[in-house]
Amino acid sequence: MFRATLAICGRTVVKRFISSVSGENALPSNLRLPSNLIGVGRQKRASPSGSDLPVLHRCEDVIPAHLAPAQTWLESLGSCDGEPLGVVDLHPDVFSVPVRLDILHDVEVWQRNFKRISHAKVKSRAEVSGGGRKPWKQKGSGRARHGSIRSPLWRGGGVAHGPRGPTSYYYMLPMKVRVQGLKIALTAKLAQDYLHIVDSLEIPTPDPHYLLELVKHRQWGDSVLIVDVGDEFPQNILKATEDLKTVNIIPAIGLNVHSMLKHESLVLTLEAVKFLEKKLLWHDVRYTPLYPFKLPYRDMP
Amino acid sequence: MRVFGAVFERAVTACQSSALLCARLFSTGACARIRMHAIPKLKDVDRWTEKRSMLGVYDNIGILGGFKAHPKELIRGPLWLRGFRGNELQRLIRKKRMVGDRMMGEDKHILDKRISFLYRRFNRYGKHR
Repeated sequence: MFRATLAICGRTVVKRFISSVSGENALPSNLRLPSNLIGVGRQKRASPSGSDLPVLHRCEDVIPAHLAPAQTWLESLGSCDGEPLGVVDLHPDVFSVPVRLDILHDVEVWQRNFKRISHAKVKSRAEVSGGGRKPWKQKGSGRARHGSIRSPLWRGGGVAHGPRGPTSYYYMLPMKVRVQGLKIALTAKLAQDYLHIVDSLEIPTPDPHYLLELVKHRQWGDSVLIVDVGDEFPQNILKATEDLKTVNIIPAIGLNVHSMLKHESLVLTLEAVKFLEKKLLWHDVRYTPLYPFKLPYRDMP
Repeated sequence: MRVFGAVFERAVTACQSSALLCARLFSTGACARIRMHAIPKLKDVDRWTEKRSMLGVYDNIGILGGFKAHPKELIRGPLWLRGFRGNELQRLIRKKRMVGDRMMGEDKHILDKRISFLYRRFNRYGKHR
């Protein structure tokens, strides 16, 4: 029996020895993908820094001298398997900020809770019908003394400390924290290769299958959030995304951290990138408000 | 002895492999009696309904939209609770101020009673008054 256990222990020791001798290229067992997995894993795209394609858009805002712009591909939605058209420069103070997960968490929790109004309400002993009269006299009946049949002790009585009325959970995070949350979310999407810049949202057909095939071919992920500036979108893409659940299109004003985290991939048009950079960089150089920003300021449009 | 050892090894590995194939726990019935005849099914939640996929859109309408609107104007709910947070007494006082003259009969009476009860509780008894 001891020889059997020694043989089994020896087998595991030999396995570990082999894996350590073979070097660090062998992945540990919990990271190895099984060979019968359905669906191909994402391949990393080549970085655009060493390519020949021209830089089609430089940042309009001034980049600090000690930072270099982040670069990414500019693609087109025109054909399913199109090549990238060029390279785009992105401002580092929006797309390469230090990723503070705690700020991201705070902004996400804020988005979930500030709109919440809970309508839970229970009747207290004063609101339950009845219970004005003392049920039996104080002394002599032999039963416990009570003042009303709707006290919290009684069945059918009111609740002593229950939820009271519509409650709101509203609070506001400081403006700069919310802005920083947006910047961090954009940085994270870019860093994880889930950010795609597109020149415009023109697609050849209003067919949702075209979009799904495009997403699958380019390995954009399970869910895509498309963002563009302005009120009007091309009819084709509106029709295509109307019936799709996981591919959604929103105007740039509607961008927020929760949607960016919910959808796996983010597609921005070039106009949307310029708009976001302008809006988010202003908060780094603005003065503190003397009165709310919605009232007119002389130097703000 | 060696033959016995080899047979024991094979039996152990066979037991291990069969245990992996059909991991059924069995007991002699001496432990706690949890009967799992009907394991409830997981409820199917569609994570991509219209409401869930569009949750949170326009929350940054202030910072991205030129401060013409405030996110508190997005909140849908009772008039006296939009963009306001307070404890029960503060909420009831605000309700009375904003909506009180519209309220009728029993609701008004209950609101007044509750306000006076909470006022007395917060300001007269207890440690924090």
